[in-house]
Amino acid sequence: MTELNEINLRGLTAGNKRAWDQFVAAAAPLINAVVRRALAPYRLGEDDVMDAAQDVFVRLCASDFRLIKGYDPSRAGISTWLAVVARSAAIDHMRRRRQVADSIDDVPEAALAVEDRHTEKLKIPQGLLTDRQALMLRLLYDEDRDVTEVADLLKIDAQTVRSTHHKALLRLREHFKIDPT
Amino acid sequence: MSTEPIPMSDQEFWRSLAMDGGAASGSISDNDLAAWLEGRLAPAEAARVDAVLAADPVQRAAAMELSEILAMPLPAAPVRLAVRAQALVGFEAERMPASRPGFFVSLFAAGRRQAMRAAAMGTAAAILAVSGFLMGGGLGESYAQQKHITVVSSTDTSNELTDLFSDGNVI
Repeated sequence: MTELNEINLRGLTAGNKRAWDQFVAAAAPLINAVVRRALAPYRLGEDDVMDAAQDVFVRLCASDFRLIKGYDPSRAGISTWLAVVARSAAIDHMRRRRQVADSIDDVPEAALAVEDRHTEKLKIPQGLLTDRQALMLRLLYDEDRDVTEVADLLKIDAQTVRSTHHKALLRLREHFKIDPT
Repeated sequence: MSTEPIPMSDQEFWRSLAMDGGAASGSISDNDLAAWLEGRLAPAEAARVDAVLAADPVQRAAAMELSEILAMPLPAAPVRLAVRAQALVGFEAERMPASRPGFFVSLFAAGRRQAMRAAAMGTAAAILAVSGFLMGGGLGESYAQQKHITVVSSTDTSNELTDLFSDGNVI
């Protein structure tokens, strides 16, 4: 089977049926996986998941392949780009579906409730941490991700994650005058 | 009163803090997120994405989810997904030309081709029938001819009857 990055995208957007068929065969596993994962919290049936995945392909070829024509290979590989687009399309599909299906009365109260996050916390002043440091601490502590996962996400090595994390905490402790244990 | 700092684990310490209200919010385009996931954004652009992800747990979870999927081996997709998706694009001969089509091209475009073909066949058949009918003299002549044949045949019949009676053949 042809790999995704070997597909003739120019031929595909010019309407070459063979290129489209190859593209579908190569992209289907990725789109299937992304859509399933993105829609997992909604607990949909198999047919609904397939419809959402099909909708991704519909978007890709709509308006004379406008979406694929907008892909810029200098910014990202086709798999990464396709995964991002597929996830957005699946979430959008779900939103449209819910708009049609749900009225406000049908939504459980718990889903409408705004979480009360009013707790006394020390505020980190803007500029104390870099955006990357803040993101790393969020991933490590708010989401309990391990160093390897964060390194994979940020495309850096694990040692860089450890040292960035260490520097960020030192700066915070210094600012708030809190000694580490 | 003790002024000793309170010892805290890193996680407890972090959770006792809150990011300032000025934290970035907003959306990240699909193209920017894809470039960020591959580490291909310029530092300033990457910092903006970092800030949005740090501030928004939903977008952060999405980025993490995509990163995980892209790193793992993918199971095969159901066959029907590929079959249905491949059917979305027709063969080249059936595709409309990219430029604006002329009158006759759009008249016989894929969607209307069948109906137009039937209409053309019907019109041709009607023209043939009418022209053939007119060449044969039209409705008036046809009627007159039919009437003549009837009169001639009825005259012949009455003559035969007269001959029969005059010959004295009737009992």
